[in-house]
Amino acid sequence: MSEWRKLPDMGLLENKFNDNVIVAKLDKLISWSRSTSPWFFQFGLACCAIEMMAAAASRYDLMRLGMIPRSSPRQADVMIVAGTVTMKMALRVKKLYEQMANPKYVVAMGSCATSGGPYWQHGYHVLKGVDIVVPVDVYVPGCPPRPEALIEGILKLQEQILEERPLTRKTG
Amino acid sequence: MVLNIGPQHPSTHGVLRLQVKTDGEIISEIKPFIGYLHRCFEKHCENVTYEQVIPFTDRCDYLASMANNFGYVVAMEELMEIKVPERVEYIRVIMAELQRIASHLLALGTFGLDVGAFTPFLYMFRDRERILDMFEMTCGARLLYNYMWVGGLSHDLPIGFVESAFRFLDYFEPKIEEYNNILTYNKIFIERTADVGVMPADVAISYGVSGPNLRGSGVKWDIRKDEPYSIYDRFDFDVPVGIGEKGNLGDCWDRFNVRLTEMGESIKILRQALTQIPKNGDVHQTIPKKIRPPKGSIYKRTETPRGDLGFYIISDGSPIPNRLKMRSPAFTALSVLDEIGRGWMLSDVIAILGSLDIVLGEIDR
Amino acid sequence: MSDERDKLIAEVVEKALRGDMDEINNIEDRVTRSKAKAALAKAKRAQTADSPHQIEASDTGESTAPNTLSGNPNQKVGERISEKFPDSRDGEVADTHIQLKPDQWNEIATWLKTEEDLLFDSLQCITGMDLGENVLEARYNLHSMKHRNAIEIRIAVSREIAQIPSIEQVWRIGDWFERETYDMYGIRFTGHRDLRRILLPEDWEGWPLRKDYEVQETYHGIMVPKVKEGWE
Repeated sequence: MSEWRKLPDMGLLENKFNDNVIVAKLDKLISWSRSTSPWFFQFGLACCAIEMMAAAASRYDLMRLGMIPRSSPRQADVMIVAGTVTMKMALRVKKLYEQMANPKYVVAMGSCATSGGPYWQHGYHVLKGVDIVVPVDVYVPGCPPRPEALIEGILKLQEQILEERPLTRKTG
Repeated sequence: MVLNIGPQHPSTHGVLRLQVKTDGEIISEIKPFIGYLHRCFEKHCENVTYEQVIPFTDRCDYLASMANNFGYVVAMEELMEIKVPERVEYIRVIMAELQRIASHLLALGTFGLDVGAFTPFLYMFRDRERILDMFEMTCGARLLYNYMWVGGLSHDLPIGFVESAFRFLDYFEPKIEEYNNILTYNKIFIERTADVGVMPADVAISYGVSGPNLRGSGVKWDIRKDEPYSIYDRFDFDVPVGIGEKGNLGDCWDRFNVRLTEMGESIKILRQALTQIPKNGDVHQTIPKKIRPPKGSIYKRTETPRGDLGFYIISDGSPIPNRLKMRSPAFTALSVLDEIGRGWMLSDVIAILGSLDIVLGEIDR
Repeated sequence: MSDERDKLIAEVVEKALRGDMDEINNIEDRVTRSKAKAALAKAKRAQTADSPHQIEASDTGESTAPNTLSGNPNQKVGERISEKFPDSRDGEVADTHIQLKPDQWNEIATWLKTEEDLLFDSLQCITGMDLGENVLEARYNLHSMKHRNAIEIRIAVSREIAQIPSIEQVWRIGDWFERETYDMYGIRFTGHRDLRRILLPEDWEGWPLRKDYEVQETYHGIMVPKVKEGWE
């Protein structure tokens, strides 16, 4: 599953030190440290916010994954959009997303944030999916998704972050 | 100075914007801006059938979905003159009272969080999870149940529900004493909330406030006792009223105490209902195949954890409602914020907002 | 220390019951002052049988004054309105509601709230309604806390001139309820001090709950209707 758990091949330095020294690419080190402490921006809007709060409470503990709720966008890495986004709120979501510092990720939690949810048909004021205004990395379906489903979404996000190569120059 | 407590803020009441005019630290005017969660509930109700309205009512007040379902179903059954079997009535009351305890736990937990106490929040969520386990055992969902249908219920109680409910009540009853020790009679909590945000009774009635907010101001009004619906007139319970124990009558502490004591009263109702519930009965027996109410309109109120929930339903004989208006208690509770929040400091306004126990899904529908 | 405080509270409450409120107001400590005021309120309540704070619903569910509207409150109140405000009723007489013309609504509302044996001090709900055929209607559900009566008042207006006098000064919750009805139906409430949209954004076009509402195409550049390709 995650390749950082296997010790990398150290070549000339093999068996020269006790298991205190690991040599790896700087890329992997950076993406590993980013993935294991994603501080989330608690953007709870509606019913999914209650499940997000329940996920952060004692039974399904989000803090063991390294996630701490922050209320300011400047201090957060992941924005979990939990709940229905309306037209009135869509402009503010965009603004808050722009205020977050890079690297930033977005998790669309619940069916309302994914595609409008149960309000897709006659909801004149409902934004049909938050990916119309911000780019989304992980979609967590459900109405509302169980806290375990949210945790699975976060784990998928962690896998995605691990695969990034932040220092590699991208050509093309 | 005009300050904006913006639509996104850590007090977990939802997306609410308060435009606050301050003079130094003292507030001179509060203007709430709502509508950030307006999901067109009433427009949906005019386009879907009566059965399909029930999941939408769940999502309005998402902290007390059973209570919303109950209000709608009671109004529809009165409009259509359906009489449901005894077992259905008892199960509905049991679910509604469990939901009341769960909702009050969350309200009190987040109120403690607003005032600065983090531990009661975790303790109350731990107890709330046990209630959600029982709901999940019955209908499969943790938060939004779609459980009470017009004329019956969606699922019967599973085997072992009554025993596990008794076990939960025996576990939970001493916890109220524990919450009193941690929070209610805590010196810092009293300093923060006693005498803050006093709401006189005539102001409360004029602004249409109801439920624990009104009872905290000394008015003994509870729909379950004064205009009883379903089988609430068979149970023996008390209606706690604020008496101004730690300050003026109608302050935040009174409202907090009323909610805490109400949980104890719900435990009483639950014990009686769980012993009296008939063992046999079909919950799907009186569910009509097709819901076509007679022409007419009805306005019916029920008591949710937040206050009086009113449903005004106008039917024109077709399977789709002509107009369905939901009068939510949190709407009226928020409108009184300007009146009782003036003259206090900014952190007191956060405490007052927490004590009013609003849910934005219900206000904006 | 709390003994001294209790003695102090007992003294100042005694003085205040005789009419001297200065002692209580001069207590510096906020907690002691509030305790003294609470004790004063309790003492006053013990002295007099009825006080404005205790609008209590007694256990049998009846008010102490005789209820003049028992039976059909809508009908009886309707008759009294016809006597006191002639020419204000509109349409046929019905059992379930009272149909009024919009002109004298403010005076009628004040009278309904203050009249001794009516005392409709609680406005439960204002519902807007689109009846089709160019008629909009506002329905008011009123309730009396003391006498336990409930009535319904309906006021119908035409679509072009949708104006009803505002009653937000009579029942303070009318403020927000009227703004919501204006937001959804476009009925203007004349005399309202701050009539603007409450649920939808200020620059939204149209009155959504009317039956002939057409959703606008875009709002600030965002597509409003469900438009994602490949659906349905």
